[in-house]
Amino acid sequence: MIYLRYSDILKKNLELRETVKGSEFRIAILSNITCHQINEIIEYSLRANGVNASVAQCNYNNIIQEVKKFSHFNAVIIFWEASSIIDGLYYRINLFNNSDIEELTDKTIKEINYVIDSLKNTPIVIFNKFSSRIFNHHFQNENYFDTFCNSLNDNLRKYISGNIKIIDPDNILSDISVKAAVDMRNFYSSKALYTVEFYKYYAEHITPILLSAVGKTKKALIFDCDNTLWKGILGEEGLHGIKMAASDKDGLPYHEVQNLALALSRKGVIIGLCSRNNSEDVEQVLSHHHDMILSDKYISIKKINWTDKATNLKDIADELNIGTDSIVYVDDSDFEINYIKSVLPEVTTLKVPENKYEYTSLIRRAFGYFYSSGETKEDYNKTEMYREESLRTKEKKRFLSIEEYLQSLDINLDVYINDCNIVQRMAQLTQKTNQFNLTTKRYTETEINSFLSYENNLLVAIDVKDKFGDSGITALSIINFSGSTAEIDTFLMSCRIIGRHIEFKFFDLIIEQIRRKGFSQIKASYFKTIKNQQVEYFYENMGLSLTGQTDESKHYLLETDKYITKSIDYIRIN
Amino acid sequence: MENRIKEIMSVVFETDLSMINESASPETIENWDSLKHMNLIAVLEEEFNITFSDDEILEMLSYKLIIKIMKEKMI
Repeated sequence: MIYLRYSDILKKNLELRETVKGSEFRIAILSNITCHQINEIIEYSLRANGVNASVAQCNYNNIIQEVKKFSHFNAVIIFWEASSIIDGLYYRINLFNNSDIEELTDKTIKEINYVIDSLKNTPIVIFNKFSSRIFNHHFQNENYFDTFCNSLNDNLRKYISGNIKIIDPDNILSDISVKAAVDMRNFYSSKALYTVEFYKYYAEHITPILLSAVGKTKKALIFDCDNTLWKGILGEEGLHGIKMAASDKDGLPYHEVQNLALALSRKGVIIGLCSRNNSEDVEQVLSHHHDMILSDKYISIKKINWTDKATNLKDIADELNIGTDSIVYVDDSDFEINYIKSVLPEVTTLKVPENKYEYTSLIRRAFGYFYSSGETKEDYNKTEMYREESLRTKEKKRFLSIEEYLQSLDINLDVYINDCNIVQRMAQLTQKTNQFNLTTKRYTETEINSFLSYENNLLVAIDVKDKFGDSGITALSIINFSGSTAEIDTFLMSCRIIGRHIEFKFFDLIIEQIRRKGFSQIKASYFKTIKNQQVEYFYENMGLSLTGQTDESKHYLLETDKYITKSIDYIRIN
Repeated sequence: MENRIKEIMSVVFETDLSMINESASPETIENWDSLKHMNLIAVLEEEFNITFSDDEILEMLSYKLIIKIMKEKMI
């Protein structure tokens, strides 16, 4: 939410007001400053999680007078700004004498105690610590205003338990800077101290607390594997090629992330894996890779296969008997993240940042999602029912098919035929691609060049683009023609573009090219390696007839006029 | 720019787009109070990446004046 624009929050909040139903979750804000801009932000944050929230405010500076009016609400949030405890306190206090300050401190503590006491039956009370940060610009000595705030905070300490949650706004101020958090224009004109930016971060911090009151806590942290738990692609670089060691510059962020995940698992968070890999490969890493901190015994659930990730996450939720809205999912691929966002919007997704050094702070920030408190006074049975019901209706409404998602991506292909400008890349693809590679034949640039110089070869490569960006030249096929037969020597795709049905479109394209050359028979082979089991049945699926088979290989034949094109109409060829 | 501002105003004031016409002002738009005005300013500043002075904020109290001041700022 911190990345959403204010206008989008306002707009989406209005939309969600119409669609999110169910029992109302009423939140009251009591404050001695103007802070109405938090209303929609908190409403949005909860409604986006399926909670029918509504926010009300007390009249300006009426905390004490009105507290009892709101004590039956589901939650009360208190913005009691030290600077406004009396008008202009933040500059006047330095002219006070000691007894003035003592008197004010005593009076304020009595008021605070009265307010907290009045809310003792409110399920959740969020109380901001008093802060002098905004109005103190010199830090050489503690001044009167600091001392005053410290005294009030000392008194708050006795409430740190039960339904009172003490939040320290200094954490947000230091995160985004006082400059971004405060707008003095509005403070002088309307006593509105904080900016929308501040409220976005504030809402992000307290949303897990509010959600816990309706049983909607995040329970599981699920990781992709390649370039998420370790650096590198296991299927390509192998057990010893991937990096996650503390001693390795590239591996260090992953080492740290694994440690953070381990710490979460100690706190009771379920840790799981959901990735497109060969499961035996990952099992090997889990049991044999000595840099793997997050070993098997900490991982509660694994979905390591070639099924789409939304289905896998749904299965994970089913098997753990939790809602998909209890899942936080981490992946390095925009494609996967956006797919899950569109199919399972209730899953919280975290994209591994392009800058790997920002990855660890992303995961540290995610600790906030797993807030849990066994001490709220909500009726747990009721909230469970509420959760399950909203889950059912949500899933019915929202589950899109993978086709619908792929259609929305605007995938398009640039085709390169016998192009001598991309020799280096074609050679590299044959050398590096292990998983989606039917024959795994490795070629040097010289060999590719020699293919190009004879007319009886056809080299087709494709560049894959979609609305999120350009994957580059990521698929290649090499066909040899001899006599009346065309033979598919190479058919490979980089794992970066797997899972988008591009192989079907690409194969259609190859067959079309062969037909145009006047060949009616196509031979093809699959050579088994330890890494290419995902394409073991690719040619069967494409309708080729098996003509021979050994332990290591399978051979096929296709009459081109019998080929049924897959006609994936949502992938465009440019 | 005018259309974007109209859309923004209709979202902020939770009112039909047709209500945001040339004569729109706090007198014609029910929700246009001083608090919602603050929201409007926040959205405009974010959307157009500008900062209004406190005097401008006080002056922008009708659709026409908003357009006038926005045009001056956007040059």
